Amino acid sequence: MDILWFGVFAVLLLGYFALEGFDIGLGMLLPVLGRSQEGRDRVVAAMAPFVLAGEVWLVAVAGVLFGVYPRAEGEVLFGLYPLVVSLLVSWIVRDAGLWFRRRLDGRAWRAGWDGAICLGSWGLALSWGTALVALADGMSVTPLGLAGGAVVAAALAFHGWTFVSWRLPGQVTGASRGAGALLASACVAAAPAAVLLAGAAPWLLGHTAPADTLNVLSFMILPLAPLMAGGQVWVWRTFGPRGAADRIPSFF
Amino acid sequence: MDVLDLARMQFAVTGSLHFLFVVLTLGLAPLVAIMQTLWTFRGDPVHERMTRFWGQIYVINYALGIVTGLVMEFQFGLSWSGLSHYAGDVFGAPLAIETLGAFFLESTFLGLWIFGWHRLPRGLHLACIWIVTLTAYASAFWIMVANSFLQNPAGTVDRGDHLELVDFGALLANPMLTMALPHVVGAALLTGGSVVMGASAYQLFRRTPEQEFFTKSLRLGVVVASVGVVLAVAFGYAQFGPVGEFQPGKFDDKPLAGLGLGFMIMIGSLLQLVVLFFLLPVIRWLPRWRWAHPVVMLMTPLPFLAAILGWLAREAGRQPWLINGRLTVADAMSPGLTSGMVTTSLIAFTAVLGLLAVVDYVLIARVVRRGPAAVALGAGPGPDRERAAALSL
Ligand code: HEM
Repeated sequence: MDILWFGVFAVLLLGYFALEGFDIGLGMLLPVLGRSQEGRDRVVAAMAPFVLAGEVWLVAVAGVLFGVYPRAEGEVLFGLYPLVVSLLVSWIVRDAGLWFRRRLDGRAWRAGWDGAICLGSWGLALSWGTALVALADGMSVTPLGLAGGAVVAAALAFHGWTFVSWRLPGQVTGASRGAGALLASACVAAAPAAVLLAGAAPWLLGHTAPADTLNVLSFMILPLAPLMAGGQVWVWRTFGPRGAADRIPSFF
Repeated sequence: MDVLDLARMQFAVTGSLHFLFVVLTLGLAPLVAIMQTLWTFRGDPVHERMTRFWGQIYVINYALGIVTGLVMEFQFGLSWSGLSHYAGDVFGAPLAIETLGAFFLESTFLGLWIFGWHRLPRGLHLACIWIVTLTAYASAFWIMVANSFLQNPAGTVDRGDHLELVDFGALLANPMLTMALPHVVGAALLTGGSVVMGASAYQLFRRTPEQEFFTKSLRLGVVVASVGVVLAVAFGYAQFGPVGEFQPGKFDDKPLAGLGLGFMIMIGSLLQLVVLFFLLPVIRWLPRWRWAHPVVMLMTPLPFLAAILGWLAREAGRQPWLINGRLTVADAMSPGLTSGMVTTSLIAFTAVLGLLAVVDYVLIARVVRRGPAAVALGAGPGPDRERAAALSL
């Protein structure tokens, strides 16, 4: 049971970087890939249907951390207090940009929220990179951590670039990428977290909640796993490049 | 203020902001789902337009529910690591089940619903909003399970330095939950109904050309608010039983809790009087009684206010305990937390979320003012269709 829940935790964390990483990367690249308002609209519309289904993986990570590794949860989140706060504020700013950008007409309004998306995405990437290094390094923020921030930012930007070359081939980056390339860039995006996870596995396993608690979690959640996975697959089938519904105005 | 007060303040501010949006999400979701069901099975276009208009208000409100919820999710670990240390084996379970078994599905299917107009088959699109509604209520259930455990740690035993979960059933059958959950559901329906009522009254008062649309909406709002107020008041009084048993004197010794309770009951009684004994009996004529519409509009903020007062009563009355009788708030605070840390995050969260909350309400007010013709949610291929089509070739 310990191993099963560690597997769930790993899938959720790596899944977060694979499935939300490109949204963050595209947010970072927004001013570059979309030099005009129309260009930015197109990039945001390409990622928009995936955001709600992607960011929720991190909420799930936090939930499992609390339920399965309660004693690690406090240690990790409190130990990284300033980074967690900057991650949250960045996340909030990015989401607000997405939800609000089309809610009023006017170029200044939309351009302003596009700025928020970009700023928030950079904040997310840098906070993550710094946090991953700090976790590996006994919770201390060092200059090395900032280098980690740069690595994660580069990985997510690459993933975002690949995603948009897959979703809108030839239209935004000039390049076309297939599903294989997207899978590869997802692995790149998830790699830093995978390295950390491999190193932290023994420590994390040592903090697992007792069997009674895990039984309750398994009993309540595992039956829902097919629906959870099914919803995710459905999102990708509906909004992938073959869904070709660019004529419908995007909500974000 | 010392660091403990600051940490409590941060939780109170972010928690209250979160609930302001959540209570409306819970209230509107079933309304939107019912409207879309009517549209799917009866095919009357007015129901499609109602789904999109009230759905747009629902999703704009939802945005703030999410971002404030993110802070709640991580805040326990940030400021209250003593809670997960002492009681994580118990308290973590309902929260983990909420994120995985409810919110994960809610968010995924909400994305499908928002972006799936004109792409998903009608029946499946309808299924999405129902899954979103059911999982929203499942979320509320699990959060209330966790909260009720703090009021009365049922189903657990103290093992010296930590709590152990021995009876999951008792955690779910907690008497502090069984009366509070329907009370909160009633509060949410009352809030959702009041917003629909208030916005419709505003449009009718302005002699909107959309008479049929807002007549139907006003009536639906009155009915839902009536159901809500009956539930809220009945289960409000019913809560005094378990509260008296497990937390005797909670409203007497703590002035803040007593004040919250008193004003909540005042608002509740007033709303009950107006909704049940004035609006509901005249529901047939109400849409045409222009003089009554300002009254309905003025009522709209009251359920929100009552809901915040209710939480104030429940949580301020729990002090000084975090887990009643087991763990104090002071002991639960993360060891090593400094005033500087909390002050920084308190200012950051309050400033960002406060500003966004104001923007969000302005955007909702604008949707209400502009009416159903200007709704973006579910808009079909529009005037820029040809340009976009050219791009996709
Ligand atoms: C006559 C009317 C009402 C009565 C007698 C009443 C009673 C109560 C009581 C006794 C509690 C505290 C339970 C505790 O400390 O554990 C409470 C909490 C609460 N009330 Fe009310 N209430 C009334 C109306 C309302 C209304 C109109 C709303 C909102 C629309 C509302 C929203 C809440 C909320 C959100 C809570 C906190 C959660 C809970 O304990 O259920 N109440 N109410």
